[in-house]
Amino acid sequence: MSENKVEMSAEIVQNANVQPQQNNPLSRKLNKILETRLDNDKEMLEALKALSVFFTENSLRTRRNLRGDIERRSLSINEEFARIFKDVKEELESVNEDVHAMSTCCEEMTSRLKAAKEQTQDLIVKTNKLQGENHRLEVRAQVAQAFLTKFQLSGQEMAALRGARDSPITEEFFRALTRVKQIHEDVKVLLRTNQQTAGLEIMEQMAVLQETSYEQLYRWAQNECRGLTQESCDISPVLSQAMEALQDRPVLYKYTLDEFGTARRAAVVRGFIDALTRGGPGGTPRPIEMHSHDPMRYVGDMLAWLHQATASEKEHLDALLKQVTVRGVEENMQEVVGHITEGVCRPLKVRIEQVIVAEPGAVLLYKVSNLLKFYHHTISAIIGTSVATLLITIEDMNVLSKKMFFNSLSLHASRLMDKVELPPPDLGPTSSLTQTLALLREVLASHDSSVVPLDARQADFAQVLSCILDPLLQLCTVSASNLGTADMATYMVNSLYVMKTTLALFEFTDKRLEMLEFQIEAHLDTLINEQASFVLIRAGLSYIYSCVQQHSTQQGPLSTLPGMDTSSLKAAMVQFDLPPPPLVFYDCDYSVDQSTDGSVSSTVSPAFQTAWYPNGGVLKIGAVQHSYFGTLPNFCLWIRQYKGTDPHRTEPHHSVERRHYRVFQC
Amino acid sequence: MATAPYNYSYIFKYIIIGDMGVGKSCLLHQFTEKKFMADCPHTIGVEFGTRIMEVSGQKIKLQIWDTAGQERFRAVTRSYYRGAAGALMVYDITRRSTYNHLSSWLTDARNLTNPNTVIILIGNKADLEAQRDVTYDEAKQFAEENGLLFLEASAKTGENVEDAFLEAAKKIYQNIQDGSLDLNAAESGVQHKPSAPQGGRLTSEPTPQREGCGC
Repeated sequence: MSENKVEMSAEIVQNANVQPQQNNPLSRKLNKILETRLDNDKEMLEALKALSVFFTENSLRTRRNLRGDIERRSLSINEEFARIFKDVKEELESVNEDVHAMSTCCEEMTSRLKAAKEQTQDLIVKTNKLQGENHRLEVRAQVAQAFLTKFQLSGQEMAALRGARDSPITEEFFRALTRVKQIHEDVKVLLRTNQQTAGLEIMEQMAVLQETSYEQLYRWAQNECRGLTQESCDISPVLSQAMEALQDRPVLYKYTLDEFGTARRAAVVRGFIDALTRGGPGGTPRPIEMHSHDPMRYVGDMLAWLHQATASEKEHLDALLKQVTVRGVEENMQEVVGHITEGVCRPLKVRIEQVIVAEPGAVLLYKVSNLLKFYHHTISAIIGTSVATLLITIEDMNVLSKKMFFNSLSLHASRLMDKVELPPPDLGPTSSLTQTLALLREVLASHDSSVVPLDARQADFAQVLSCILDPLLQLCTVSASNLGTADMATYMVNSLYVMKTTLALFEFTDKRLEMLEFQIEAHLDTLINEQASFVLIRAGLSYIYSCVQQHSTQQGPLSTLPGMDTSSLKAAMVQFDLPPPPLVFYDCDYSVDQSTDGSVSSTVSPAFQTAWYPNGGVLKIGAVQHSYFGTLPNFCLWIRQYKGTDPHRTEPHHSVERRHYRVFQC
Repeated sequence: MATAPYNYSYIFKYIIIGDMGVGKSCLLHQFTEKKFMADCPHTIGVEFGTRIMEVSGQKIKLQIWDTAGQERFRAVTRSYYRGAAGALMVYDITRRSTYNHLSSWLTDARNLTNPNTVIILIGNKADLEAQRDVTYDEAKQFAEENGLLFLEASAKTGENVEDAFLEAAKKIYQNIQDGSLDLNAAESGVQHKPSAPQGGRLTSEPTPQREGCGC
């Protein structure tokens, strides 16, 4: 543009020079110039503006030089431009260089990367593989861990089991032991799979562990038990837990129990001896032996002490074995209690034997025997029915005292038989009879008050009764043997009656009572027959009576027989009707309710029935019968009363004594 | 459970005495089982019950011997008084005769036990107020005159039953504490747990640690 300006300025200069010419190129040129509108030609304006900067002096010289100036100026501008551009070019070149460098660098890197990639490919594969491996191993580790936790003990548990030899057993020990047991059980699953070797090994390991643990536990428990020698002992929960654990090892379990038993046995013996000889503090309670003069108290105190000791020991055992579930614990306990109480048997036996052998008398012996029986019963309720030495000892003592008791009774009986007493004149019971019955009563009474259960009591009675009653009956028979029939019967009835009333007070005598009753009735029959024949002879009716008895219908009517005619019968009846001699009848001192008279005839002994109504009344002698009964009420009532007082039919036992009556010969 | 190596620190032996039918066995049953036994059979000889209770912060095992009231068992039951630390003497507030017999029971108890034995008088059947035959004041006075503890209780409702046993145990424990009861003497009716033969008074804190005594 600046060149354009330069050209234009040159043209303008030329135009001005050729002005006079018209219609020639010059004029056209001029016209053209004139026509130019400078306002619109921005280029021109610019050029002029630029020109105005350096063309300050419009002179010829300057006008001549203008071109040069412009050209020079243009040159310098271009030079300047070129110079500047050169810089740019240089810069660009350096940039280019850099880019190039970068490119090579990148390329290099790429190739290096490529190489690296190629190199690491292998590694990656390996890594991947390893990762896979790692994962698998981790799983296996978990499995192994699970296996270990399932089939092996933790360090803690191991420590608990393998504690120092004499260290106390704790809760942890039992937990670990249970674990061992559990593992031992669980391992069986392994044996059923392919892991038999592992299974077997673990099993063996656990078995060994179990063995040593049980051994340790046993030693501890044994030690613990050995220390339980105080009079009272408290079983610690740990010990009962130990027993629970040991029940799996029957031998160790048994040995531990034995140890316990031995310790307790010593404690019980010591306690017993202390109670016997030392008593309580300051002498109260006094030592049991202070009462040795009183057999009942002495024996009772000893047995009561043992009863209490046995109950305590049973409690201890209950506490010790409360967690044991194995079958037969009950038997074990009984066995051990038996063992514990075995020690006291000897001192007990010696003392009771002394009491028995000292012969304290039949009643006391009997009481001691009953006491022993009671305690046998009481203690066996604790020990159980197993054959414990204590029970056997008590039973032995019972047998001994009973034997001594019966010996004493037999001695008494044989002494009775040695000198038979004659019946007293009133035909009442003899003093030896009443004394012996008093003894019997005392024995039976002591039995009654004894604490022996009912069925055991009953068995004794038969023996006691036969031991006393049989010799007594024999004694009565022997002493009555010299008497007349009626006297004998009376004496026997009196004696038997005393026996009966004595027995009637006690239980379990029914059989004997019945027997006595029979005997009494037999003797009463004898008595009645005696009386009847006495009356008949006295009234002169004996001949008539025997005729009537022997009469048979073939002989024809009775009245045709000699001595049976009406007149002789009448005479005999008159004789019979007379008031009887006072000596005839045995009287009774018993007040009778008169209202019973009406029924007298129905209870008349069959002997009289036979006497007066043979063969259904051939002898029709109502008046005689009436008057006879008029004289008879006492006798008949006597019989009646006798029957009426039968304690087993009408009255409770206790009222018999008040109903007492006696048959006396007037 | 594993915290205490032992279950109790003392054993007290008790005996229950009194006429037949006053409710001795029912009291024991109520105490040990917390139940009322309606048709209680007559006791044969003696029966036995235990319970552990806490007295002044100490676990104490009560070993209770329940005797038969029937006269015929007297000879047997007398043997059980020895070595009792406490005696529960029971009468029936609705039957004066059982109250009237107390002096004979008391004589027995005094003669057959040691002087330290704590005797507590118990008027049983306190629930039968309507049939009362012995007043509270009268029995209270009797108890005071004879130096006995006294309570009216009911085995049926359980009223005061626990207290009866507890009061006696407290008294016994107090005797131990002030030294009037010598524990080392055999048959004091009280047995102390720790096995170590320590002499004289016991310390307030029994230390029944015995497992460690490996020998």
